[in-house]
Amino acid sequence: MFLQFIGAYTSALQMLIGEMMKMKLGIISEVFKNLFKRPMTVLFPEERIEIPERNRGEHKFDIDTCISCGSCAKICPNKAIKMVEAPPEFKEKYPKTYPQVDLGKCCFCALCEDICPKGSLTLTTYVFLATFDKDTTMRNPINVEQID
Amino acid sequence: MTSTQKKDEIGDFSMNFGPAHPGSGNFGVKVQMQGERVLKATADPGYLHRGFEKLMEYREPMQNAVLSDRVCVLEPLQWNLVHAEAVDYLMNYDVPERAKYIRVILAELSRIQSHFIWYAVMSLGTGFMTGFNVSMGYRDYILDVFNLITGGRVYPAGYICPGGVRKDLPEKAENKILKLLPKIDYMRKFILKENPAWLARFKDVGVLSKEEAIKFGATGPVLRGSGVGADVRRDDPYEVYDELEFDIPVRDEGDGYARYCVGIQEIEESMKIITQAIDRLPKGEVRTPNLKPIVQFRKAKGEIYIRNELSRGEGAFYMVANGEKTPYRVKIRGPSFSHMIPILEYLLTGVDYADVPAIYWSLYQCPADVDR
Ligand code: SF4
Ligand code: SF4
Repeated sequence: MFLQFIGAYTSALQMLIGEMMKMKLGIISEVFKNLFKRPMTVLFPEERIEIPERNRGEHKFDIDTCISCGSCAKICPNKAIKMVEAPPEFKEKYPKTYPQVDLGKCCFCALCEDICPKGSLTLTTYVFLATFDKDTTMRNPINVEQID
Repeated sequence: MTSTQKKDEIGDFSMNFGPAHPGSGNFGVKVQMQGERVLKATADPGYLHRGFEKLMEYREPMQNAVLSDRVCVLEPLQWNLVHAEAVDYLMNYDVPERAKYIRVILAELSRIQSHFIWYAVMSLGTGFMTGFNVSMGYRDYILDVFNLITGGRVYPAGYICPGGVRKDLPEKAENKILKLLPKIDYMRKFILKENPAWLARFKDVGVLSKEEAIKFGATGPVLRGSGVGADVRRDDPYEVYDELEFDIPVRDEGDGYARYCVGIQEIEESMKIITQAIDRLPKGEVRTPNLKPIVQFRKAKGEIYIRNELSRGEGAFYMVANGEKTPYRVKIRGPSFSHMIPILEYLLTGVDYADVPAIYWSLYQCPADVDR
């Protein structure tokens, strides 16, 4: 059994070498060149590729400059933005409605950023948004937990 | 009892090639087989149907620009461009010169990365994994530049939008593109190295004659691989293509190998176009002045059929505006439809089953674009 396996293996190797001989040297030189080249990939958690500034990632919302015009909710192609009221404890300070973004529906087109007259809603470069929990995709205008 | 079965006793049977098959993308072909031979092939589209034409009737042009990315995953910037041109015409926008050049540069980069994918999937379909890996790796360098300019690697989200482009090129983008060209050239030379396995799989396979190519409505590299030198960039120039110098490669053989050779030569031509365009890139605005993100589409009236040369062939938008906020009717003409249905069915008749993926991928199609 073992010998059979070795036999099959060597004959396959012979075939492979035969095929390689037939090929033009181009591909072979490519193989050897690749032995000394740096890999195209990076080891992700330790090493990261640089994310350009324009990259469209998670939203950042500044409630103090927002004028509650609702343009962002109107232009959003996926209807991912809903204008909601601030939580009761903040109602006095922020009486109007503010955009709540559902990242689960968002296609990261940045139209909301372009249309916002005050620059309150912007897209950051943060892209690590994968989640197992559907409830975590909502981005409320006031992040209560963070303030507490 | 085992090995004495005569040839005519082998039963006919039918098989599905795709739609959920690693070698087929999202497109299915039902093949009727007799032993190893394909008797009849029937294309089975619809797996990826998303109803874009109808969807676009309910959205404003800027939102449609974002949607137009999705028509074909592999060449989103070029679909952006066709859509933007249709709205530009209906709205009478005077697109600034700089925007036109940026549009051309990005469309050509998109063509190159799409050709890389073509080579990658042709390799994948015929079991040449090295080709696939190397090609997709080099494509990533182009995606890096897309990320820098448009903010998305694959989807530009309507970067080429009605009235120009959404943002000006960032600093150093031109340098980055020029630095990219040697890498593209390296990859092109890698593809050019002929290997016998590749030749055996594609030479004289899937031969499409000139007359048939015209009859079935082939466009792009498939048509040019069959000996017809038609290219919308030359025949009906759009943007600034009439000011740039480039050749249109044509091959006469009409087999899978000729089609892919046309593709490789086109990469070289695209590189020429990019160098010239960066050389002449004027300064100035990139969007029609005072244009808000919302296009005032109520002002538009009339209809337009506009066509572009995409990497896969001729892609077009037909759009009717009748004074509403959204287009009244949108029709998309994709190049892959005629490649995938009449031509594929015709070419697959009577071939060996092993040639099915080779012919399938050499037709340079995009399943997303067939179904839309
Ligand atoms: S990025 Fe686009 S899809 Fe996402 S919330 Fe903004 S407008 Fe809507
Ligand atoms: S975030 Fe901007 S666009 Fe949205 S409501 Fe506030 S000010 Fe208006």
